Amino acid sequence: MQTLIQTNKSLRLGFISALAAATVASLIALSAPAHAASNPGFVLYSAQGYDHAAVAAFNATNPGFTVTLNDNSTGPLLEQIQAEGNNPKWGVLWVDGATAFAQLDNEGKLLKHSVPKVTFNSLGQANVPADGSYTPTGLTVTGALCYNSAAVKANQLPSTWAQLAESKYASVLGMNDPSQSGPTFPLIAGVMDQMGKYQSGSTAAAVADGKKFFSDLAKGGMLVSSTNGPTLGAMEQGSINMAIVQSSACYGDELNGSFPAIRVKYLNYSIALPSAIGIDGKQPAIVRDDAKKFVDWVMSSAGQKVMQTGDPQGDSLFWPVLKGENPANKVIPPLSSAHAITISPYVWGPLESTVNTWFDSTVVPK
Amino acid sequence: MADVTISTTASAVVPGPEPRTRDRGLDKRRFSLGGTAIWIVLFFLIVAPVGCFLILAVSPRLFQQGSQWFTLTFVRQAFTGYTGQGIFNSLWVSTLVSFLAVSTATTIAWLVHRTNIGARRLWSLCMWLLLLMPTWMMTLGWTDLLEPHGAASAIGLNTSWLYGEFFGPLGIIIVLTSAALPFAYFIVSAGLQGLGPEFEDAARIHGAGRTRTFATVLPIIAPALLSAIAISFAETMSDFGVAFTLGYHVHFPLATYTLFSAISNFPANFSVAAVIAAVLIILTIPPIALQSVVMRRSKSYAVLSGRTRAPRRREFGSRSRYLSSVGVGLIVFIALGVPILGAVIGSFVQNLGDATGAGAHFTLSYYSQAIHPSTVDNSLGSPLVLSNQLGLVVATLTGVMAIVLARRLVASHGGWSQRITDILLLGSVAVPGVVLGVGYIFFYNLSFITSHVVDIYKTLPLLMLALIASALPGQTRFMAGPVSQIQPSLSEAARVHGAGRFRTWRTTNMPLMSRVLVWGWLLTFTKTLSELAIAQILYPPSQEPASVTIQSYLANFQSGTGTAMTVLTLAEMFGVIIIALAIYRLVTPEGWRRTGWSVVK
Repeated sequence: MQTLIQTNKSLRLGFISALAAATVASLIALSAPAHAASNPGFVLYSAQGYDHAAVAAFNATNPGFTVTLNDNSTGPLLEQIQAEGNNPKWGVLWVDGATAFAQLDNEGKLLKHSVPKVTFNSLGQANVPADGSYTPTGLTVTGALCYNSAAVKANQLPSTWAQLAESKYASVLGMNDPSQSGPTFPLIAGVMDQMGKYQSGSTAAAVADGKKFFSDLAKGGMLVSSTNGPTLGAMEQGSINMAIVQSSACYGDELNGSFPAIRVKYLNYSIALPSAIGIDGKQPAIVRDDAKKFVDWVMSSAGQKVMQTGDPQGDSLFWPVLKGENPANKVIPPLSSAHAITISPYVWGPLESTVNTWFDSTVVPK
Repeated sequence: MADVTISTTASAVVPGPEPRTRDRGLDKRRFSLGGTAIWIVLFFLIVAPVGCFLILAVSPRLFQQGSQWFTLTFVRQAFTGYTGQGIFNSLWVSTLVSFLAVSTATTIAWLVHRTNIGARRLWSLCMWLLLLMPTWMMTLGWTDLLEPHGAASAIGLNTSWLYGEFFGPLGIIIVLTSAALPFAYFIVSAGLQGLGPEFEDAARIHGAGRTRTFATVLPIIAPALLSAIAISFAETMSDFGVAFTLGYHVHFPLATYTLFSAISNFPANFSVAAVIAAVLIILTIPPIALQSVVMRRSKSYAVLSGRTRAPRRREFGSRSRYLSSVGVGLIVFIALGVPILGAVIGSFVQNLGDATGAGAHFTLSYYSQAIHPSTVDNSLGSPLVLSNQLGLVVATLTGVMAIVLARRLVASHGGWSQRITDILLLGSVAVPGVVLGVGYIFFYNLSFITSHVVDIYKTLPLLMLALIASALPGQTRFMAGPVSQIQPSLSEAARVHGAGRFRTWRTTNMPLMSRVLVWGWLLTFTKTLSELAIAQILYPPSQEPASVTIQSYLANFQSGTGTAMTVLTLAEMFGVIIIALAIYRLVTPEGWRRTGWSVVK
């Protein structure tokens, strides 16, 4: 009996020691500070599917400093940037859509004239801001009409945005919620821009026309889900037959086999959605120089190649914005077929929060 | 001895031992080194980050989030339209859920502890497993099961009639009630354990039937019932998992979702979010106040004494025993079995939810993808290892801090400091994780803090601190009940015989507390593994925890892989529980396992 008690005690002490040692070891491993270096490098805030591959390739071929990747969805990344306020920790931001960049530029947070000296094609050039505060790195479109070819034939689809509001289409239509899905506000802004025939000056009339259009879609029975996953999932389940979403999401699901029957049709216009990269203008000069080197590399042929291969069934399915570069996969049609239009992020960006709040309170609950 | 006590105020659940008589001079002591240290820790863990966030409700300019130094604009904005609807929905749903959870839990607790119902230990264990399961996993399981062409359809069940019903307020209430059920169950169980059979006997002698007896005896455990209502209400108010998944998809806004929505726009409206967070915290005051009023009259509820007899079990006849067992089994199946079943089937069936006629079939491809994904750096392996490391550290440190705080909460000489700690810890239960996460950025990224105090923003230590802050209030309340039930005379005897403080605790309290320590550690460990809201905001670059990886798959139309990852994480959680309990059995004397608190009896 005495031996048993002693054994128990030894085991107990052994276990408590092991738990303490494991806790301390984990604590040390989790708290290990970054090595101090003469060149600290920078943190890349990115929501791109190919960012892991891009950072790995860049770090492997560019000794001297290290790019650290903070990969997250666009929403949390922008939350972090806003909450960091005047003490930013990001060096470079790389997400889809230019509206957030326009707002950061308006707040004086971006490094101006940071666009590398490369030769853009026409749509690429159309998305370069006048002050060079961010660089378009590739292009997808939002407002592509993805449809379930097993449920509806191509000739049964609408051809224009105006037709979407007809009840036979709206009742089987889906889209994402702009407050949760980054590419959806540019879609709404683009529709407002086109419906209201916006030229310049006040956007009030265009916004009103756009609101009426989306309200009509909601009244017609349009289903709003949070992001691409639930929206395309609803199409797969048969709740809807078509959805207005980002082009790369549809091509990706066709390629990866998760939704073989999905197809894409472009209406009378779609909205260009540049993947954009911008540098934090508040960082020290050494960090800004490192960031410029990274952006230059992204826009080089080596960087473009990694972008086109890093996420082959997702974000790599874009149209290049540089002359001489072609899409990575034949599933992507010529860009001319998408009828892509470009909206001014400086005009529409500041309306994002207001429009999204209206959408959440008016369109989503229908 | 109670099964488990999750206290909502110090010694609230079961009236504790008589307060020790203290020297008046000692009662007058206002400051102590230990007390100051505790307040410094609480300040950096909870008060400062949450305070930084809440102050934005009226002063956005303090953190460069607007131009106003003081404004009430956002208060008005939060109570109108969509956000106002969210607050209203949260209020009535939380009220309903807390009453449903407490009434169901009271029935189950009575059946398990006071009758000869079958499989009693299993039901208690299931309540514990339910406590460990996050609500987003529950929702995922229900969705996988009931969606058109989903798991139920794959096994030949037609559930289309249930789909429309479940994906609405009804489903939200079912899942939230399931989540609140174990909290209420353990609290009410503790109350029932302290209630001797003499009260039931007295009622029966005076001619009361079974129902009348139950109705007569029940008010005696009013403190426990009110505690259960308060904690169920606070937990439901602060839940984000259901609000973000089921609530959003059925277009039924809850306050935690509208809060999230306010900060997920760009630019984020942190001020409206701060108002909603403040409302969530303030709304927990009424149930706490009600409980306090009752506790002030607690002498009339003092039923636990040295002469309290062990509860006697009512012997059901075989038919009643069978029916009651089936009834409890059905509730446990709905709360726990259905979501697990849905998730497991969803992870093994290809084309689940596909109406295109591709046909559902068995597959292991989702598990293969979870372990060897096609995209670089997107497997579950490294994130799960990291989550385990975080869980180990967070659970151990939280456990140590929770014991210190619990002892302070139940001490009879705490005064105002004790009361404030008590209120702070219960109010913190209602703080949504997303508020804590953003509050940590505001506070720990202040130039003054990074330059002169500590520079840990964008590091794992910051995430660890936030996870500890998230777990500490619940863990402390979890420990407070068992701590309050330990007779102080044990420690006093050890001290009289010359033992130091640590030795006194180790030789007197630890044997009695060993089971609660193990289960408390497991609770925090598993909750850390599945925590999403804080992790998504605070995880440092290139160090993604498992919950974030899973969520990114679920959000990107790769729900099969995401579900497989969820099942693997759940399996790992249960594996750790089994191993921990086996080690506990191996290394502790038999006496430790028979005394003190226990999950199952």
